[in-house]
Amino acid sequence: MAAPVALPATDRAMAKSSRTPVGQRKLPHQPGRRLGDVPAAAILLIPVLILFGISVAFPLVETIRISFFDIRGLAAPKFVGIENYFRLFADPAFRNTLWTTLVFTLSTTAISVSIGWTLAMLCNFAPRETTVFRVMIFAAFGVSEAVVGYMWVSIFRPDVAGLLNSFIALFGMPGFAHPWLGDPQTALLAIVISASWGGVGLPLMLCFAAVQSIPRTVLEAAYMDGAKPLSVMRHILMPLSMQGVRVAIFINLLGALRAFDIIFVMTGGGPVRSTETVGYFMYRESMTQFKLGYGAAATVVLLIAVLVISIPAIIQRTAGAK
Amino acid sequence: MMKTFGVLGRRALLSAVAVASLAATMPAMAQDASGELVILQWLGGSEGEMWTELGNDFVAKNPNVTIREVALTVQGDARGPMRTALLGGERVDLIINTWPAFRAELASAGVIAPIDDVWTERGWDDALDASWKALSQTDGVTYGVTYTYGNRSGIWYKTSHLADAGLEPPQTWEEFLAAIETLKQAGYSTPVAMPAKYWAHGEWFETMLLRIGGVEAAARLAAHEIPWTDEIVKTTLRKYAELLNAGCCGTPEQMFAGDWDYAADQIFTADAANFLLMGMWVNGRAINDYGLEEGVDYSMFQFPSMGMGHDDTSSVDAKEVLLTANSANPDAAVAFLDYLVSTDATNILAEYGYASPSKNADTSLLGPVQQVATAAVAQSQVQFVLGDLLPGDLVDEYRVQLQRFLQDPSDANIDAVTAAIEAKAMEVY
Repeated sequence: MAAPVALPATDRAMAKSSRTPVGQRKLPHQPGRRLGDVPAAAILLIPVLILFGISVAFPLVETIRISFFDIRGLAAPKFVGIENYFRLFADPAFRNTLWTTLVFTLSTTAISVSIGWTLAMLCNFAPRETTVFRVMIFAAFGVSEAVVGYMWVSIFRPDVAGLLNSFIALFGMPGFAHPWLGDPQTALLAIVISASWGGVGLPLMLCFAAVQSIPRTVLEAAYMDGAKPLSVMRHILMPLSMQGVRVAIFINLLGALRAFDIIFVMTGGGPVRSTETVGYFMYRESMTQFKLGYGAAATVVLLIAVLVISIPAIIQRTAGAK
Repeated sequence: MMKTFGVLGRRALLSAVAVASLAATMPAMAQDASGELVILQWLGGSEGEMWTELGNDFVAKNPNVTIREVALTVQGDARGPMRTALLGGERVDLIINTWPAFRAELASAGVIAPIDDVWTERGWDDALDASWKALSQTDGVTYGVTYTYGNRSGIWYKTSHLADAGLEPPQTWEEFLAAIETLKQAGYSTPVAMPAKYWAHGEWFETMLLRIGGVEAAARLAAHEIPWTDEIVKTTLRKYAELLNAGCCGTPEQMFAGDWDYAADQIFTADAANFLLMGMWVNGRAINDYGLEEGVDYSMFQFPSMGMGHDDTSSVDAKEVLLTANSANPDAAVAFLDYLVSTDATNILAEYGYASPSKNADTSLLGPVQQVATAAVAQSQVQFVLGDLLPGDLVDEYRVQLQRFLQDPSDANIDAVTAAIEAKAMEVY
């Protein structure tokens, strides 16, 4: 049991007089009624733990458990141990999704974070004048991936109704018109562009906040020393906003790894599985084929990938916490 | 999750109990039905509206019955949401189904009840031919009542396109290839709209398979009694290659870029393509979405004869209603099945452009294109759509491999594609 906590002298005096410094009545202190740190923490944590258990821990444990079963449609489940995992890594379709996921994740993260970061630094030169611009870009981050997908499908449509091909024709280059989403060579690129467009807003805001937190004195000193805007960007803004960039990379990586909606809407994983990520594979196996055990095994693999990225980042970010 | 499966595992037993209870209540079924009737409903659009009207008409005739639809939100394959609903504990009396493989899965899990006894008792043989009864059977046991069917071997076209090019609907394969050439010369770069984004490119393969191997070969392939490397399959793909090599459909990238609705747009609104091999739902889209007049602005012709001994075959789809083994209201459920083959129900179906297999149906109520399709099916040996007969795992691989074939229709690739499908089939069966 935790020992009763001793009150500081001033508190003791106030408790004795039962009055606050401004003369309001205060409830008398009742020794022995006060909870210790551990029970208080427990009371505060229990609701969160219950919620966490229902919404995170139970589904997680259940998914891992199901991954050891062969479940096909409505048929009875059959325990197969780790066979699903062996089959998964022997499945060329799954191996292909690993590569596609890697390309998609790194590309969208690199594009959206670098654009967001650059825009943040540019906006820093005229913060007030670029407010509307920043709000507009950030608004795209609030749009659901499915809506972003539908919007970009209409841009990449292969016929004249497609915005991109219409522009190409308008500039007198009809030979460059292309069925962007129908070509295995360009479909993934088209999705990366679409996802990056939707993902620029968050890095912009995070990096802008990081840039804004740089003391003005540092920038003023640089200008007094004759630094040009490009050197200020290169030698001050970039290195001192790295904290925001790291957070943006971390969040974008996790989001891109789990990508599903935009792929479902734009290509359905095709053509010829060229845009199928682990997230889409998981959906296809679990919900279309209803091979719940196999799909759960893919889910566990994705979960491990997410943990590999997030645990070091979480440890690094919380290491200084007391 | 496992508990739910436990419940499902016991459904085989429940199924037997349900059959016994159905038999026991048979005399009662002849009486007026009452209570709540729950239908697992996944159809949308005008077909969903048709179901609402069918329900309203049934309730008007059976005022003691109320109908509740467990409506599923579906994009793509509805079987996933249906399984989720059933595993999640939804208790329904009737299930609308269109996949024979899914019926087999439901029967195997004991979710649906055999209705052979009810069929005899209700005299549904008077309304439905034996072939329609057979279409709702799994391992010789009847589980459902087919309420509509569609021709999947009909080619849609816009009448003005052919008239302007001086063409008549082609009757033979050679005429069809010649028509493609004529239309290309008339300025259409892709006379055949080939929607290969997901599944619709399989339609051509499936009808050609029937025309080359007949219904028996197609059925044997579906059951994997012949391998996918069989000469019939390869010959079918070689014929398919003839079509591609005739420049029917543009580049593989153009084919992969759209689904069937995009392909229909290319014919009926963009005037960029001419032919589409697709199911009867195109009829509803042409009337409701494009505002075209059936039989005047557009029509359909049956797949051209190939002269390979099986030109009297057609691919069809069908929808049926299945009775669940744990139905809380089997009286009302059976009364509804009985209603589906009645004249009143078939009139509502016709009003929405759907053909009924019931002998009580007045086919003169159907539109001119529907009549063409209905007559074509009536004169054919029919086989259910191959894609809906294959196990889920295999059908996915089959469609992806057909996409690979569209990329390269050479003989060498035909060997590779058929070998890949066969390898998957060996895993699945």
